[in-house]
Amino acid sequence: MSYVQVKQLSKSFGKQRVFDAIDFTIDQGEFITLLGPSGCGKSTLLRCLAGLNPVDQGQIWVDGENITDLSPQEREMGMVFQSYALFPNMTVAENIGFGLKMKSTPAAQARSLIQRFVELVELKGKEDRYPHQLSGGQCQRVALARALVMQPRILLLDEPLSALDAKIRKSLRQQIRDIQTELNLTTVFVTHDQEEAMLMSDRIFLMHQGEIVQQGSPESIYTQPANEFVAGFMGHYNLLDKQVVKALFDLDSPHKVAVRPESIYVKEEGRQYEAHISSPKTAHVLNHQLLGNVIRYKVQIEQQEMTVDLLNRSSERLLPAGSRLELLFNLNEMQPVSP
Amino acid sequence: MQNVNLMAHRITVYSIIALLALPIMATFVYSLSSHWGASILPDGFTFKWYAELFSDSRFIAAFGRSLFVCVLALVLAMLLMLPTIFVVFYYFPQYDKVMNILILLPFAVPPVVSSVGLLQFYADSPFTMLGTPWILIGTYFTIALPFIYRAVSNSFIAINVKDLVDAAHLLGASTPKAFLFVILPNLKKGIMASMFLSFSFLLGEFVFANILVGTRYETLQVYLYNMRQTSGHFTSALVMTYFAFIFLCTWLGSRFSKGNLS
Ligand SMILES: Nc1ncnc2c1ncn2[C@@H]1O[C@H](COP(=O)(O)OP(=O)(O)O)[C@@H](O)[C@H]1O
Ligand SMILES: [Mg+2]
Repeated sequence: MSYVQVKQLSKSFGKQRVFDAIDFTIDQGEFITLLGPSGCGKSTLLRCLAGLNPVDQGQIWVDGENITDLSPQEREMGMVFQSYALFPNMTVAENIGFGLKMKSTPAAQARSLIQRFVELVELKGKEDRYPHQLSGGQCQRVALARALVMQPRILLLDEPLSALDAKIRKSLRQQIRDIQTELNLTTVFVTHDQEEAMLMSDRIFLMHQGEIVQQGSPESIYTQPANEFVAGFMGHYNLLDKQVVKALFDLDSPHKVAVRPESIYVKEEGRQYEAHISSPKTAHVLNHQLLGNVIRYKVQIEQQEMTVDLLNRSSERLLPAGSRLELLFNLNEMQPVSP
Repeated sequence: MQNVNLMAHRITVYSIIALLALPIMATFVYSLSSHWGASILPDGFTFKWYAELFSDSRFIAAFGRSLFVCVLALVLAMLLMLPTIFVVFYYFPQYDKVMNILILLPFAVPPVVSSVGLLQFYADSPFTMLGTPWILIGTYFTIALPFIYRAVSNSFIAINVKDLVDAAHLLGASTPKAFLFVILPNLKKGIMASMFLSFSFLLGEFVFANILVGTRYETLQVYLYNMRQTSGHFTSALVMTYFAFIFLCTWLGSRFSKGNLS
């Protein structure tokens, strides 16, 4: 049986329905990401798990126990907020020790626990600082330690990296993942950033308008988007109408077809191609964006505009607008997607 | 060009300050002079008037009564407002706007009008309220509410009440404990600022004090008024003492609200 089971969970604010009859399960030690655009109900779902928002209907089970009616104090869950939510009147050590104080942990034991978690999040020597004397990244590590020191059954993180700058974000997400693996912590992480979700998660729950539209490993969600929304959200997929697919590739599809920009190649002269590679299509470059290791071209093939990602090899010049290209498509990577 | 403008502004501001300070300075000099009659400058300087003032037991008693009334009204108002503001900000943040309007109601009616209303209302109440300090404490309590609500709610806005309390809950704290350990210590500035500012305002309040209670419970303002017939030097010393005290409270209040003290 799964460690966490969510059954038929529903939540509304007044007349506004946030989600309706959601079901999912999480295994012990799994790193789950709730991914979706802003306003789709990720935070609300997370707060329902934490007990901070009451649910209208449904049940939450953890480790064989129905916790639906437990208060946040009794749920043994740790949470990290986007705003850090550090107590401004307390030092780093006092913040981390707050939960232990509420549990009346003996002082000596509390001290050694605080020390251990201060070291785990690499804040040794900063125990006596106040939150306003710390950088954003350090604040968030204090918040993480404060949640972890309670040895929660589930760790919940609500966009913990969104307020940080890009460089700190990259190092901290790795640190969170490392600590999570080391402690084998069941974790639910909320983000609207698909790159973050892909890099960190065991499984991604992709949410849209209060529904989990697809769940699975990062790879399966990226390569096999279940519908147009997922294709649009996960990458820069080209969505081709079925008439266009018929005309260009002579393929029949019941739905639109999603084509990843990096699955399109430039034809190399004198090279033999396998059967699943399409015949060359003539394309005109409309414009390009330099993304570093990749150049993203907007091209036109017959009446259809498409996005094509090509590796930025120094041997090849940037192709100016108007250039002509012969492009090849991998027919195995044409992914029909339902609306 | 910029500098010339700045100079002009400075000169204007300083001249206005000097103009406003002039009567206060004159009162101050007058309170220190032994006799200042037909001459341009006083005949001599003395601390006599201050000594007389501070040895007047009626003054000390009036001062004590004023302190009692103002401090009690403020403490009661604070005890009521802190949990109220917490409830508004944590549970019903959308009602902050409504509270801001409600809280100004005591100011919507001029003191003369509302004191006559209070007189009529309490004239035939079963307990004697008129002429006792209690009616004054009750009135000052309502006058202090807007000061306290504004300053304390500013302190609330400066912290993220929702997330802080939620975090405390998840760490095992009950709501009262979360308020006591996590929220209250961060409101110190707002509490101190509003206490000192409303204190200096209440200490100067005359209309309610005179009409509702008057000489039956002589507070500082009423004492000052009753002393108007005595020596001008003496009343100047009284006014200066009064003024210095209010100035000190206002200064402390603004220091706290700017956050220079913590
Ligand atoms: N406390 C609340 N009261 C009323 N509506 C809310 C509240 N919290 C969230 N909502 C609404 O619920 C929806 C989902 O919000 P949220 O869970 O915060 O989305 P996300 O975290 O995915 O951006 C939004 O439309 C939001 O306006
Ligand atoms: Mg959110």
